[in-house]
Amino acid sequence: MFSAIAAIGFSSISNTPRRAYLTCALIAAAGHSIRYVLTLPELEGMHIIPASTVAAFAIGVLAVLFASRIKCPAEVCFFPALLPMIPGMYAYRTIEALLSCLYHTQEEAFGHYFYLLTYNGLTSAFIILGMVVGATIPVFLFKKLSFTATR
Amino acid sequence: MMSSRICKANDVPGNLPVREIAVFLADYASLLSGCGATCIRIEKNARRMAAAFGVGFDITLMPTHVYVSVWGKDMSDTSVIIRKTASCGISFNLNALLSRLSWEVADNHLDFPTAVERFERIRETKPTGKWEVLFLTSFANASFCRLFGGDAVAMLIVFASTLAGYRLKQIMLEDKRDVRLTFLCAAFFSAALSAGGHIFDIGTTPEIALGTSVLYLIPGVPYINAVSDMIDRHYLCAFSRFLDATILTACLSAGLCAGMFILGLKWF
Repeated sequence: MFSAIAAIGFSSISNTPRRAYLTCALIAAAGHSIRYVLTLPELEGMHIIPASTVAAFAIGVLAVLFASRIKCPAEVCFFPALLPMIPGMYAYRTIEALLSCLYHTQEEAFGHYFYLLTYNGLTSAFIILGMVVGATIPVFLFKKLSFTATR
Repeated sequence: MMSSRICKANDVPGNLPVREIAVFLADYASLLSGCGATCIRIEKNARRMAAAFGVGFDITLMPTHVYVSVWGKDMSDTSVIIRKTASCGISFNLNALLSRLSWEVADNHLDFPTAVERFERIRETKPTGKWEVLFLTSFANASFCRLFGGDAVAMLIVFASTLAGYRLKQIMLEDKRDVRLTFLCAAFFSAALSAGGHIFDIGTTPEIALGTSVLYLIPGVPYINAVSDMIDRHYLCAFSRFLDATILTACLSAGLCAGMFILGLKWF
């Protein structure tokens, strides 16, 4: 539910047509749920990077399928739906570790924070890359469907 | 409401003014590019309309300009028009309306003057109300905080800091301030406000409130468009969009760091 609210709110920043709000919200909720289920430890607990990519791919496919219903380009649907999956805390930990690196001059402490910086930074970068590539590929796979949505 | 006019028998492609069509297509591509459409969409939409008008067409998309070349069927008349990318801000509504216009021209054989008239009307479309965007964004960022594991107090802090930071962004952009400075100031403002949770020890997850408070500034559309352009081999535009977005992200990170440093948050 919170991912749906986040999708509606962030879609308004990009001047999304109001008729697309509900679709964006549903796709966002579906995408977030898929990632949540994939990362559950009971279900093999997939790593967050491939899980985000798979969820983003599902978002891309749903966006292409629903785009023609609301007569909007597919990117209008998948962009707000992707946002709730942004690795905000990983990005924040990266910045925090960067500041700590600058603050500590001792080799051991510096090394520890540098490890946190690269670990969080790389995780965050690859989650974003996986998400964006995963969601964009369906648009190119179903080119005809994607570019006739506003017909 | 204007009704669609159908091309008449005497509207043969050869009679259409090549220069006017080139100007129209260049303006169209410039606005579509400015509102955040991907290169592949701009190219497809403009080409679709040129085919409907019965003229030859080619387009070069550069990061800040569009070059449109149009020629008549017998090549006796050619025209090249360069337009700067419109600075209208990201708008999916404009994107959808302009895409639909291209299909109306192609499928309903909308004649050239009607297409121009429709385009001018689309250009006047007003963006979503600023108060609506302000509150929806604040609710969205508070929801983000919940998704990252923040408690109700953290959500409230994020709501308030987003409300203030986003309003500052709106005011600075209305005053035509530099977008990078705007991002830095808005991030600083939001971070400084949400750091209150840490300083006054409010709630159980103040660090999540601080980390989430600036996320509304992340330029997601340029990042996604950069990948789309890269897949479509528009490397210059892809690189430009990516760099633009990276610089804005660096500005918001600098604002966040400045907020954390000035308020002397000590978790090192």
